[in-house]
Amino acid sequence: MRVMARVIAIAAPCALLLVCGFTTESAQSPAADIIVTAAPVYEPLAALRGEERFPKGAQLLLVHQGMTEPLVTGFVATADANVSFDAKTVLFAGKRSEGDPWQIWELTLADHSLHKIVADASDAIRPLYLPGGRLVYAHRTDKGYRLEEAPLDGSAVQVLSYLPASAIPAFVLKDGRILFEAGFPLGSGATPELFLVYSDGSGVESYRCDHGTARWGGSQLTSGDVVFTHGATVAKFTSPLAKEESIVTPRAEYAGAIAETTSGAWLMSTRPSAGAHYALKLWKPNTSLSRAEALTTLLAQSGEDIVEPALVATRTTPKRHPSGLHDWSYANLLALDARLSREGDLRVAPALVRLETQDAQGRTVVTGTAPVEADGSFFVQTPADKPIRFALLDAKGAVLRQEHGWFWIRRGEQRYCAGCHTGPERTSENRLPTVLQHTTTPADLTGVKELREAQHGTPGGN
Amino acid sequence: MNRQAQIGIRFRVSAGFAAVGVALLSAALPGCAPVRAAGQPETQPDTSEREDYASPLEVLLSPDGARLYVLCQQSNEVRVLNAASFAVIKSVAVGRLPRGFSLSPKGDRLFVTNAWDDTLSVIDTRALVVIHTWPVGAEPSSVVENLSGKRLFVANRISSDIAVLDAQNGVEEKRLLAGRGTSYFALSPDGSRIYVTHIYPKIIPRQTGLENRLPPESEITVIDAERAVVVDRVQLHGIAGVFHGSISADGRLGVAAEYHPRNLIPLAHMEHGGAFTYSLELFGADVGKTPVEVPLDELERYASQPFGVAIAPDKSRIYVSCGGSEIVTVVDVPRLLRFIHTHNGPFAQDLSASANYVVTRIPVGLNPRGLALSRDGRRLFVANRLDDTVSVIDTRTNRVASTILLPGSTTITTPHENKVDIASSMVDGKITCSKCHLDGRTQSQYAPTAGDLETLIAKHKRLSVPDLTSSGSKTISPLRRGEQIFYTSRYSFQGQIGCANCHIDSTFDGIQWNLEPDGFGRNTVDNKLLEDVTDTEPYKWTGTNPNIPTECGPRTEKYFWRSENYDNQMLADLAVYVRSIPPRPNRWRLANGELTPAQERGKVFFERAVDKFKKPIPEGNRCSYCHSGPKGSNQKIFDVGTRKPNDNTGLLKAPVLTNIALTAPYLHDGSARSLEEIWTIYNSDDKHGRTNDLTKDELNDLIEYLRTR
Repeated sequence: MRVMARVIAIAAPCALLLVCGFTTESAQSPAADIIVTAAPVYEPLAALRGEERFPKGAQLLLVHQGMTEPLVTGFVATADANVSFDAKTVLFAGKRSEGDPWQIWELTLADHSLHKIVADASDAIRPLYLPGGRLVYAHRTDKGYRLEEAPLDGSAVQVLSYLPASAIPAFVLKDGRILFEAGFPLGSGATPELFLVYSDGSGVESYRCDHGTARWGGSQLTSGDVVFTHGATVAKFTSPLAKEESIVTPRAEYAGAIAETTSGAWLMSTRPSAGAHYALKLWKPNTSLSRAEALTTLLAQSGEDIVEPALVATRTTPKRHPSGLHDWSYANLLALDARLSREGDLRVAPALVRLETQDAQGRTVVTGTAPVEADGSFFVQTPADKPIRFALLDAKGAVLRQEHGWFWIRRGEQRYCAGCHTGPERTSENRLPTVLQHTTTPADLTGVKELREAQHGTPGGN
Repeated sequence: MNRQAQIGIRFRVSAGFAAVGVALLSAALPGCAPVRAAGQPETQPDTSEREDYASPLEVLLSPDGARLYVLCQQSNEVRVLNAASFAVIKSVAVGRLPRGFSLSPKGDRLFVTNAWDDTLSVIDTRALVVIHTWPVGAEPSSVVENLSGKRLFVANRISSDIAVLDAQNGVEEKRLLAGRGTSYFALSPDGSRIYVTHIYPKIIPRQTGLENRLPPESEITVIDAERAVVVDRVQLHGIAGVFHGSISADGRLGVAAEYHPRNLIPLAHMEHGGAFTYSLELFGADVGKTPVEVPLDELERYASQPFGVAIAPDKSRIYVSCGGSEIVTVVDVPRLLRFIHTHNGPFAQDLSASANYVVTRIPVGLNPRGLALSRDGRRLFVANRLDDTVSVIDTRTNRVASTILLPGSTTITTPHENKVDIASSMVDGKITCSKCHLDGRTQSQYAPTAGDLETLIAKHKRLSVPDLTSSGSKTISPLRRGEQIFYTSRYSFQGQIGCANCHIDSTFDGIQWNLEPDGFGRNTVDNKLLEDVTDTEPYKWTGTNPNIPTECGPRTEKYFWRSENYDNQMLADLAVYVRSIPPRPNRWRLANGELTPAQERGKVFFERAVDKFKKPIPEGNRCSYCHSGPKGSNQKIFDVGTRKPNDNTGLLKAPVLTNIALTAPYLHDGSARSLEEIWTIYNSDDKHGRTNDLTKDELNDLIEYLRTR
């Protein structure tokens, strides 16, 4: 059923759509459609706390030539539209009935056929298409939302994140990595931050390390820049810079995700103040106007937030990540020089590295220590698919530096790091780390050995 | 048949039969249907004529700016264009594989180095004819005349030296030792100095036995152009691969494009410059006493394979062509100098440094190489080697203002009727096309059905494919597209590397790498030469890759690119290109094909079956057993006692001997710094051939023979 938007005039957005270039690159249609989520209440950061973003429900609307209509029928709640790269299908989170959890569905636009991809007793939200016929989404657990990945038939679900806190996918970058939101410090903090992970769960890291301000709603523009919001402002990460770059935008509150039109304009959900509702606005970046009037209203509905804009248009398919994980139960990590850090290089050479993980009850468990070489290198075998963190110790066992948050390494993953929190701008020095001159067998910090000895007794003992 | 004709046939064969690789690969990979690009016909009409390619490598402007000289590497010519209208004035044929050229200070003579002829062509620029062809050193790659016009300097890539010639008669006066793979010159504007770069890192002499685990070292050799003596060697630490350089008009700033590999760190991931940093080496009075390395890369974008360098006449900008990234990077010189003088280095590890001085990245054609700036600095010409164009950049807008097309110059004929060959070669359910070099060994993994055969025949006639340019409108041969794929960096994660990074100019890089799947710190491997690799499978040092498609496809995608690869059809094109890479002429062989007395003596040792004490040498311990056949490998696996503590196995495939004289260091891990060390250091048990009965002179004879392979 097609209905008129309750507030906005029809003709105006239609004209805007034409002028601003809402056309697919190959489409013959004069304007591309938009899908938005309309909700009485929208809490953009609630999912990071494991809470409901749409406590009073939500509905996906299709904006077509200035008219809005529900994208799908037969659901009591729908949200989180993500359009496929060929613009033929849409992933979304939906509830068939009030008591249902959020589940992941796919809609075929041509015939409006539906199929359920993820069905579970707990919520599954924010689905995003991955290249190669797969998707990533967030699935609620007792520790919050975690990232999961699966083929579009929903089989063979693979867990990507292993944190004692929530991780919510935000965007799939052109290079194939998944941009996700989580609290900083990762796994323990409450400041929203943007992180990256490959589609097999490996290579988790911060997008940038100029932490401090809340950042969410990240999406990648055609230029490759990643634009996001602090709530009251909008900023971006660019390839040349190691820190965010502010963007002068009209004064407003920004809900989060931004969709870029083919003409380079941005679709954004904004509101004038905290008490108001978000409306869908259009803004042309780099315009001299930074006043609120520079935002052109495309869609506003009384008593509803209009958020999560998605353009129904073809887009470049990101690169598929060919997983190189080995068939191991553990992971290997090589630190090239643990003394290096963005917070300042250690002047005292660490003697040991200590690895901590969490047990099933969430208690911190030390899995062991390993020597750190004089050049700051160490090579350790770690528990896989668990939250882990490192601490650098002096010869007496005192902590010299400790990670504040948690991260994880996937089963069969081998990675190295230039230092401890050196930032993505820091490449490694081309030298053979001392630890690899001494041994190519990593020190076993998986904790398995200790556990085995505890169960069977130490050889030679009682 | 002369060698030029031989090379021509090689390319004809490869081009004509590239499609076979496609079909075979498609059939060899179950479930991997060949991908047909949009708009590409299923088959094309049979035709026996194919176009060759120009492959513009370098560009030059005449002193008055009226002419543009384009060095066309594959068509072996210099094309002379009107620099305003871009109309072709004349094409001047030169020797094989021309690699470098320069004008005399007066502009009346154009010197061209013919890398595969070991000659120098001298062109009279008024008549546009070759007036002299002088023999020079091994693989001449660049040439420059000093300001007085008395001497010519020629960079010899293989002999790693600089030949000093009498500029009037080409008689060699002397040689000056330069870096390994000596290749490019930059003449100071006052003509007093020549700065010389080299593309392979130095061979660090043996001291501890762990030289294969040390950072590479290179140099810029500085020559007094009037006295023809080396006056300085600027050491470049950690650098392997230095290409063009340029000196500012005031002579105060020198710049060279270079690679900074990370070969000593396990190649586990690409992010954060995991494989390479691409940088500029700055030197001269503007910089200070110590050269400074500044990266061109960003956090998520790389300036892969920097090659050509040009400095604006007013020293406001540096332009760098980046062959793998298909861009020209523009650097603001005042900001660059301010940055290096106000920040503490080193900068090579900082991917955010370039934000302080890189102005923009201008997309150009495929594999951009040589650069030439107009005298007013307003037009920058870029030779795009692999799409046969020259981009003309307006330096005020930093945009490509026009693109000069350089169509192929020759027409060649495919050697046989494809359909007949394939159809007649169906034997025992397997397809063989001997003329395509794709015989039963690589096809033995599958048995095509009759339907497959029809598909194969149809595909075999597919003689043109869309190229890699964004328009995709131009069609080229599968071989040519394979070459484009080989050189581009677009398939690796964030565009960091391409095949040509480690196989510079389709050869090797002279360094050793630690690949992640073998284990961190395990199985250090020396990079191999890619010449003439057809029919030498299995591949890898351990011989664990059965064929080139496996080597270049799934393995490369997963462990090198760390990103989505090309489709199967493009993989086949790449494989066809890799198979087509010919061996360069062997400089240790006499022109008449005979061996010198020392080589003859060495050959006897190589082939002997009894040692000097008249004791039989077991077959498996004879040089000529493992290193048999035309390419010097029986393609079998052996343990010759070279396993190191960090190696997972001592079982290695007998490596081919093609142009082995060029590819030091030796052994699978590069631990032998010379051929001699293979036996004097690493063969104490005579497992790697019976050699301990040989005297030093006799061993030298053996090595002399090996160099002819």
